[in-house]
Order: sequence, then structure tokens, then C-alpha cells
Amino acid sequence: MSRFLKTCVWGMTQPWFRANIAVSIDFGRLMAGGKLVKTIFAALLFALTVTVAPAFCADLPAPPPGPPGEYAQSYGDPLAPFNEKMFWFNLKLDKYVLHPVASGYAFVLPKPARESVGNFFNNVNFIPRAANNLFQLKMANAGGEVARFGINSTLGAGGLFDVADSWFGLKQHNDDFGLTLGHYGVGSGAYIVWPFLGPSTVRDTVGYAADSAMWPLPYFVPWYVSLPTGAGKAVVEAVNYRSLHLNLFEEVDRYAIDLYGAVQDGYMQRRAARLKDINSD
Amino acid sequence: MAVTQTMVNHALQIMADKNAPVQQRRRQLREAIENEFDFSEMSRSALGYHWRALSPNQRSQFTQLFTAFIEDAYLSKIQDYSGQQVQFQGQTPLGQGYTQINTAIVQGSKSPISVNYLLLQKDTTWKIYDVTVDAISIIANYRNQFNRVINEKGFGQLMADLQAKQQELASLLGS
Repeated sequence: MSRFLKTCVWGMTQPWFRANIAVSIDFGRLMAGGKLVKTIFAALLFALTVTVAPAFCADLPAPPPGPPGEYAQSYGDPLAPFNEKMFWFNLKLDKYVLHPVASGYAFVLPKPARESVGNFFNNVNFIPRAANNLFQLKMANAGGEVARFGINSTLGAGGLFDVADSWFGLKQHNDDFGLTLGHYGVGSGAYIVWPFLGPSTVRDTVGYAADSAMWPLPYFVPWYVSLPTGAGKAVVEAVNYRSLHLNLFEEVDRYAIDLYGAVQDGYMQRRAARLKDINSD
Repeated sequence: MAVTQTMVNHALQIMADKNAPVQQRRRQLREAIENEFDFSEMSRSALGYHWRALSPNQRSQFTQLFTAFIEDAYLSKIQDYSGQQVQFQGQTPLGQGYTQINTAIVQGSKSPISVNYLLLQKDTTWKIYDVTVDAISIIANYRNQFNRVINEKGFGQLMADLQAKQQELASLLGS
């Protein structure tokens, strides 16, 4: 708490804070003349400022090396009752629907073909990857993603083959809006398990919504075309992915004492590691 | 540390030797790993703050069980082994008395899995206190699982669950 207060006080002494207030008052005045609106608007911007402020003082002390031992911190799970229900729902859905369907699909379609389907989806999903690399000012990666899309869509037979990597050595740089938010200092927030979508956090849910909004089809065709197309795409993508990782859960389950806890921690650690990666390159 | 490299290479040899009886390979593998891991540090770390609430007796019981569990988990990898190669990619020092050995498991055309060993110095020897797979710390992962079980059902239930899982893994290995 004291660190939060210190951050607030520090934030208010910064020039950009006063600029924010000045802008917010002007904007409030512009939007509506009333004093109340002005106050609310200023308060909202203030809140935003103190949320973003910690990103600018990112000189937190690194944890000491070695095993954390008995002083290890564990993260809270305020949504645990909801999350656990959703987790078991997803597990059952996987067991009775997704896994059997993916197994049958894997039986009829040979692996190289399924890998090509995976490549195809990877290729059409290039917009959020390119955009988020751009948002994080990783120009080479962003340009690389656009180039990859161009090369794979043409020479790679519409994205079925990742020739940009195998012929030109252009690696894919995975990125998403959750990581962009994290890159600019937004904390992960509570852990959330969504039905169908699986593990996430508050930040990554916002990120997922933003990335989904970058899917271009709904902007060009009416909703009754884009909605079924989008749903179909999501289903095929999920089945294809599962068919390429058929013992995904079985492996984790074999060594887990508490499967929910294992998946939760795995997700949190993986995302933290990804964020560390993109912040260091 | 050279000892870790020797241990991993030795373990790979044992795993690759498909002709030797399972019993014999288990014994060899157990001998190869038991002196390289710091099981008491792993146990303490995996329980986190709950460690402080335990009696010396409970601590040693847990350490014993968790050690058997980790050994069997490692040994059960024998079945999955199909000739993957381990590349040693040098060390990252983690400060005085701590280091990390970076390896990658190469598996054909698929992208390699990074497996890193975290070591601490005890007197003159280096011992492994954690392993990360794809940047996920195994001990931290168990800490989250154990914390949940203890908070919801108590330490007794954790011991029972751990024992059941260990026996499951042991039976998987064949006796």
C-alpha cells in the first residue's frame, strides 16, 4: 500500500501528470459544460495516470538468486470458485468432445497435412502479431511479420507452408496485446479461466479482445456471414491444434498432484517468461 | 558444472540402453541422480511458507516422500525417451554460490525444448535445486499445487495425494 501511495505522490510531481490534468479539464469542458463531468473526467484520467505510473519507475529490485525456500510468495486466486468450475467444464469438454474429434481427425488426415492447416491459420493470424510488435516498437519484427505474410501467402501456397522460415530464415515473432499491455507496465491482474478459451488473466482477456478486434472479416461482410465464419475458424483451429498435441493434458496430469494448480501456475509462469523475453530483446 | 553434464549424459545413456532390464536401468538411473539433486532444498522450497508450520518429523516425512516422487517422475521418463539429444548451451551465473546450466532437448524437426538446471553450492559440491522446462520452474509449479491442497484440505491430504501419485508412477515403471 505504501508503495502505491509513493507511486501516486511521485506521479503527481511529474510534468506529464499536470499536462494530463490540463488536457482532461479541457477535454471535459469540450465534451460537456457541467462541472460534474469535468471532475469525473479528471478523476478517471488521474486513475489512469497512477496505473500507468509504475511503468515509468520500473527499477524494482530483482529477487535474490537461489531458491526462494520457505519465503516464496504465492499469488492469490480471488476468482477460484468460478475458475474451478470453468476448469472442470473445459476438461470435460476436452475429454468428451475435443479430444475424440481431434483423434478422429488425426486418424483421417496425415500429420504433414495438419501441420499445413496449422501454418495456414498462423499465416492468416499475422495482423495481431505484426501490430503488437509495432506497438512495442519492435520494427524489425513487425516488418518481418508483414514480409512473412507476403512470402507465405504466395510462395507458401496460401500459407500452407512456412517457406519464409525454411527458405529465408524469417522467424515468426509471436506477440499479442496482453504482452503489449504488460510491456507498458500493466500488471496481469487476477487469474481467470474462461469456458472454451481456457486460462487467462484480466490483462490477457483485454488483450484477447483487442487482438480479436483485429480480425478483418467483420469489417467487410455482414455479421451473419462473419459470425459463423469466425466460429467455424475457431473450432477448426482448436481441433487442428489439439490433433497436433494429442497428449497435451495426459503429460501434465501424469505428474500433477493438483491439476488446476499445475495449469494455473504453468500459465502464469509461461506468460511472465514471455513478457521477460519481449522486454529483453 | 561438469558434474551435471556428466549426470545428464549418463542418464541419457541409461535411458537409451533399451536392451537392459527395466529394473537394472531404474537402479542405475537412481544412483546417477541421487547425489546431484538437493532433495531437502527442493522439498523446503516446494512447501513455501507452510514449511515453517511443520514439525521436524513432518518435514522429514515430506522430504522422504517428495524425494521418492521426484525420482519416480524422472525415472518414468525412460518410457518416453526415443533418442532425443541434449545440447549443453553453457552457464548463466546467478550470483555468489548459484548458477544455471542451460540445455536444449533437440527432437527432430520440432522446435527444441529448453531445460535449465539451477544449482547451488554446498561446501565444495554443486547440487541441483530446481529444473525449468520451457521457462517453467518445476518446484514453483509444485509449490502452487501444494499450497492449494494444504489450504483447502490440509497437510495430511497432501501427503495422501502425493503418496498415491508416487505409487501410480512407481507402478507405471513396473516392479
